[in-house]
Amino acid sequence: MRYPAFFKARSAMKLASIRPITVLISRELAIAVLLLLGVSFVVFLVLFLSPGDPFSSLLKEQMTSAAGSHPGESAPWYSQYLLWLANITRGNLGTSIRTGLPVLNEVIRVGINTLYLTLGSLLVTLLIAVPIAIVSARHGLTPVNWVLTMFTYVASALPVFWLAYIVIYISMHRFGLFPLAFGSSTQKWNWLHFMLPVLVLGLSNGTMGEVVRHMREELSRVFSEEYICTARAKGASIWKHAFKEGFLIPITEIIAAKIPYILGGAVVVEQVFNWPGMGRMAWQAAQDRDYPLIMAITLMAAIFVRLGSLIHRAVHIVVNPRSSRE
Amino acid sequence: MKRYTQHTTEFSDSAGVPFWKKAAPVDRVYIGYGLFIVLLVVISYILGATHFLPFDPQEINMDLLMAPPQTEGHLLGTDFMGRDILSRLIIGIQAYFLPGLLAIGIALVLGTCFGVLAGYWGGGLDIASTFLSNLLNSFPRLVLILLMVAAFKPNIYLVMAVVGITSIPTVASLIKSKIQFLKQKNFIEAATALGLKNAAIIFKHILWHNCRSVLIIQATLGMAEAILIETSLSYLGFGVQEPTPSWGNMVQSGANYFMQGNFWPSTAPALTILLTIMGFHLLGDGLNNILERKRDQ
Repeated sequence: MRYPAFFKARSAMKLASIRPITVLISRELAIAVLLLLGVSFVVFLVLFLSPGDPFSSLLKEQMTSAAGSHPGESAPWYSQYLLWLANITRGNLGTSIRTGLPVLNEVIRVGINTLYLTLGSLLVTLLIAVPIAIVSARHGLTPVNWVLTMFTYVASALPVFWLAYIVIYISMHRFGLFPLAFGSSTQKWNWLHFMLPVLVLGLSNGTMGEVVRHMREELSRVFSEEYICTARAKGASIWKHAFKEGFLIPITEIIAAKIPYILGGAVVVEQVFNWPGMGRMAWQAAQDRDYPLIMAITLMAAIFVRLGSLIHRAVHIVVNPRSSRE
Repeated sequence: MKRYTQHTTEFSDSAGVPFWKKAAPVDRVYIGYGLFIVLLVVISYILGATHFLPFDPQEINMDLLMAPPQTEGHLLGTDFMGRDILSRLIIGIQAYFLPGLLAIGIALVLGTCFGVLAGYWGGGLDIASTFLSNLLNSFPRLVLILLMVAAFKPNIYLVMAVVGITSIPTVASLIKSKIQFLKQKNFIEAATALGLKNAAIIFKHILWHNCRSVLIIQATLGMAEAILIETSLSYLGFGVQEPTPSWGNMVQSGANYFMQGNFWPSTAPALTILLTIMGFHLLGDGLNNILERKRDQ
């Protein structure tokens, strides 16, 4: 109330920026769709170039199940790609060579399991890494911080399968659990079946060190900005002022950048723990050369990555519309 | 590979002082440990390539199964078939060393090309290279490798080519932002005014004098990435196959014995992976702190 002119100007600026935000976000959506088209083209190209021509047999099988027109034996590559793409948009990704079931349902079923694993372990990583980053950005390099930093280095170099062995061994001999028989037991420790893979992947997906370093650098950069100095001088909370630029933007940025790594780590962890997810299915599909399945899994993984990136861009645009208007 | 934020470097105030004298003690420890690991890996690779080993890595000794370290001359003990673990660890380096160098080469050369195109000329090239970077970043690396393994034969050089190609965006964005920063500096303007050719400006004044350290750091981090991918793949059974040793399949083949309480056959290669990857990470971060950041701000 003391500075009415200032508030008026600010609210006017906010009103003026409402429409561009929706425009910017829909632009990001369009870019994401374009990128997914590019992803589908890369997947097509890999399969098209692979020896033995698995792609045209996949296409033929798709066509017969859809009872549409048959592509010629020597159809040019672009018409094969467009036919395949048209089938995908209709939800027809073919059937698995191994099980004979439609691929789309299978991938969605296991994709949800992988989503739980990925989001849970992301949460574990952030819960460990962010406090370390905040403490070391605030207090510099004290002996305690050095120990914490070394811990993040060890965690990000730790082979995830070996950590999984240790965890399985302890749970077998201490709690009488057999995580290799995933989800089959009905004991009171059953919830551990779900917690152990999440904890293992969260601790050693190889991104901990980088999450800490990125958060620490961004936080200390923001802490040395002039507006934080002003806030401190007038006795305001510096956390409140540093929150948006020093915390919200870097954290969504690092989440978006690290989702591919965690999905990659999920392949190994799901394999060790028999977690019925996308990574385990990708392993099985690569073993069996089950082309329709591995293509669908790659597309699904790319959709996850793009969604994470879209959320990051949306947060960035909403928090700081001016910087993204270039 | 890792993504670093760019730090501006001022040249004038530190001229004449060698960079290791300005380094903080912590960074010296990091770099010392990292260089020790790099040296160890290179020497072990040469020893393995010239078959200068304490024992034959394939030799099965049924009298000495899962011996603890330092029994009968086996410095790190033996595994579940009585094979010498140290020799197998040394031979295991061959699984990733040369393929890893290939991955690093692809990432650095193509990443620099894309970075220069996007940063020096900009415009449409910048938009195109950003799109390609985002495209490559959309694939989880291990999933893309599994797709390649399913489509082609599981071949470590193919896998490492994929690792190299998926590392291009990181190198390209670093080089790009470095060049965009350098282009505002006077010396580039002066070089253009003197009539130097673009090639001379790019290769000598930008890449050689100002981007060297970025590329060295990315190379060390690239090796860590290559080790991570190779061990994961041979753990999953798509890399080097038994009886040829690799660190990943050594951990995997010791798994059953691990669950019975014989930890060592799995733990020795796992600890080797841990210490080696950590060495490359520490070397990269230490070099980054010294070469790319002005610490005494």
